[in-house]
Amino acid sequence: MSSTSQKHKEFVAEPMGEKAVNALAGIGEVLGKRLEDKGFDKAYVVLGQFLVLKKDEELFRDWLKDTCGANIKQQGDCYGCLREWCDAFL
Amino acid sequence: MAVPLTDEQLFSELASLGACPGPVTESTRPVYLKKLKKLREEQQRSARTARRDVTRLSGGNAAGRKCSVVGFSSDESDAEAPLTRPGLAGRTYRGSAQPAARRQAAKPRSEASTARHGAPRPERALDGAGTEHIEGKSGSVNGRSPSPGQDNDYSDSDSEGLRVPELRKIYKVPPQTRARSDRTEESRGRDQDPEEPVPELHRPARSSMLPPGSEDHRVTVRKDNHIHGNRFSSELRPRYPVYRRPQPDPNLSQNRVPEDELLHQFRAEQSSSSTFSPHYLSMVLLTAACLFFLLLGLGYLRVRGSGGVPGTTAHLHPFGSDFDSSYDQSEKALILKLLLHLHDYLALIAGQHDCGDQQHLNRSLSLEEASAYLQAHNKKFDDFLLTSLEWIIRSGQDVGIRLKAQGGDDVTDVSEITYLESTHPMMPFSCRFRRAFLSVLSRVLLLCAVVGSVCALVCYMKYRWRREEEETRLMYDMVERIVDVLRTHGEACQENQDLQPYLPIPHVRDALIQLQDRKKKKMERVWSRAVSFLSTNESRVRTEAQMVGGANFMVWRWIQPPSLSCDKTSTPSKVWQGKAFPLDRRNSPPNSLTPCLKIRNMFDPVMEVGENWEVAIQEAILEKCSDNDGIVHIAVDKNSREGCVYVKCISAEHSGKAFKALHGSWFDGKLVTVKYLRLDRYHQRFPQAQSCSRALKASNHLQLRPSEDH
Repeated sequence: MSSTSQKHKEFVAEPMGEKAVNALAGIGEVLGKRLEDKGFDKAYVVLGQFLVLKKDEELFRDWLKDTCGANIKQQGDCYGCLREWCDAFL
Repeated sequence: MAVPLTDEQLFSELASLGACPGPVTESTRPVYLKKLKKLREEQQRSARTARRDVTRLSGGNAAGRKCSVVGFSSDESDAEAPLTRPGLAGRTYRGSAQPAARRQAAKPRSEASTARHGAPRPERALDGAGTEHIEGKSGSVNGRSPSPGQDNDYSDSDSEGLRVPELRKIYKVPPQTRARSDRTEESRGRDQDPEEPVPELHRPARSSMLPPGSEDHRVTVRKDNHIHGNRFSSELRPRYPVYRRPQPDPNLSQNRVPEDELLHQFRAEQSSSSTFSPHYLSMVLLTAACLFFLLLGLGYLRVRGSGGVPGTTAHLHPFGSDFDSSYDQSEKALILKLLLHLHDYLALIAGQHDCGDQQHLNRSLSLEEASAYLQAHNKKFDDFLLTSLEWIIRSGQDVGIRLKAQGGDDVTDVSEITYLESTHPMMPFSCRFRRAFLSVLSRVLLLCAVVGSVCALVCYMKYRWRREEEETRLMYDMVERIVDVLRTHGEACQENQDLQPYLPIPHVRDALIQLQDRKKKKMERVWSRAVSFLSTNESRVRTEAQMVGGANFMVWRWIQPPSLSCDKTSTPSKVWQGKAFPLDRRNSPPNSLTPCLKIRNMFDPVMEVGENWEVAIQEAILEKCSDNDGIVHIAVDKNSREGCVYVKCISAEHSGKAFKALHGSWFDGKLVTVKYLRLDRYHQRFPQAQSCSRALKASNHLQLRPSEDH
């Protein structure tokens, strides 16, 4: 398998439904809390933001960094996770 | 360009520069602002390479004004904010940033921007989040200090280049104060912001509460970025209205970071009180309990021992005033002393007797012995013996000596006295203790025995009841099977007139009960109950006596006319009923992830009847996946509300095949869904599955599937 994490695989395996934002790859407890406090309390809200940014990698990364302070790796994980999810289900 | 950039303007700017922006909303605004800034910088850089410095400087001011509005917005307002409201919480962003005199805060601004630069310094500062910040890892601060200019993401680094050296100075605080300065700066930020809740993830939801003015908005958002991005950024919002070297010292002592302080306090409390107070409390309770029990025991023993104050003393006696009047002092003393001696001696004897001492076989003392003993003590005692005894009788109180007559107790006259006995035996402490201990022990044992017997009784009752239930269930099951057999036989008889329309009961029994079960008491009981049930409750079956093969048998005759066909057991209920949706990329994972599957909605545990429904379920699954011989372990979770079945396959490939076969199928009227499980979790749950390697096959006696069409 590719170098994706378990979380990534789990997220991408099925429709996200009502999963919490913690379920996104790269988003752990702390970042998740920050996102929640900003109003992004479910994974689909972050998905919404991703889509609003037209799935642009750079913009999404910037946004993620600004919103919850994710580092490069976390941004990359989250972006990859959402992109793959969109490829599979959207 | 106007100071606040509206959404539309931003959008059009971006579009003109070639980026294709998505909608500019509240959440996407900052990102697009950055992008615009970057694009502008690139434009400028390419257009005006010659006049770099100037551009930058003035750009810092004029275009920079624009830029600041756009990109440096936070700087701008941040810079201004401290000027206008210096007293405000360090997050002066919060103020209604009046674009007052700008930048005198070259420093604050640069600091701010550096702070922002600090933000992108991702890994060290941000990893692990707030906790690290709170603990004031100086490392992160140090990490931030070098070369903000390195950051390529932010074009303002160029304009900030000039400020860098000054900024660096800020950080060239003596190392030992650096950590503290972190904290102080942080604290400065914090202190002055009483509203800001303790660290970590306190996002300034406040940002959303700010007035919607775009600048403020930007500011707020920026602030958010900073705060989230890097807590230390706040400290760089100096409350320095004027730039000066940061003075760690005065601030040091005064403000410790409230969160740090809290944390330290908490930790200190934890360490001290956690070891202290629970420990202390438990010790206190323990000692109190021990003391209590000790006292209780002592009190008990004392009471059990030699009771009250021995009968009479020289001054106290229970005989009343008559006694005092009848005798003079010496005689009184004598009598009392006599009685005292007598009492003690009797008590001693009684005590020794009670303790099992073989010396005194008799608890009581005869009168002669008593008088002999007393005479041995004091000659004069003898005279007063009888009178004192008479006084005892007369007083009628218990003085510790009981007088017994020949036949039994309760003498009324002195002459009748033959035995004297003590009512308050005096026993040595060990003896008393032993007796007490033994009595307590015996009582406790008795109590335990009673409780134990009650428990045993209850358990037995439960066991009986459960067995009863099971037997009843078996009985009903048996009755159903008998009815089935009889019905089929009856139908067969309809077609084939040669058969006898009845079946001997023993034949039916032997057909239905396995050989090894026939001798079992349980099955015999079940069978007999079934037979009696049939004869009483089933009207479609008639019991009669017939001659079969030359012997007399009790037979059952099926007398239901065949027209009635509303039996619900005619169709087996557990079948696969087709697929609900085709499996494609959208609703199934692109590749099979693990060899373990969790299948949901196979059954409803509340509704299941019958003994071996879980076996039926397993069989059904195996049948469905009969082409896939890679299933090594199946477990039906009987208690799950969702009807879960866990399956493990040899490899991920096999599980993928099983997934395709099962996911989305209809089974028994329910839509089955499948998902992958982690292998280690599966093994945790079912350790026996680790060793399974043999593929399971369906036993073919039930065909539950309609003909396959895929």
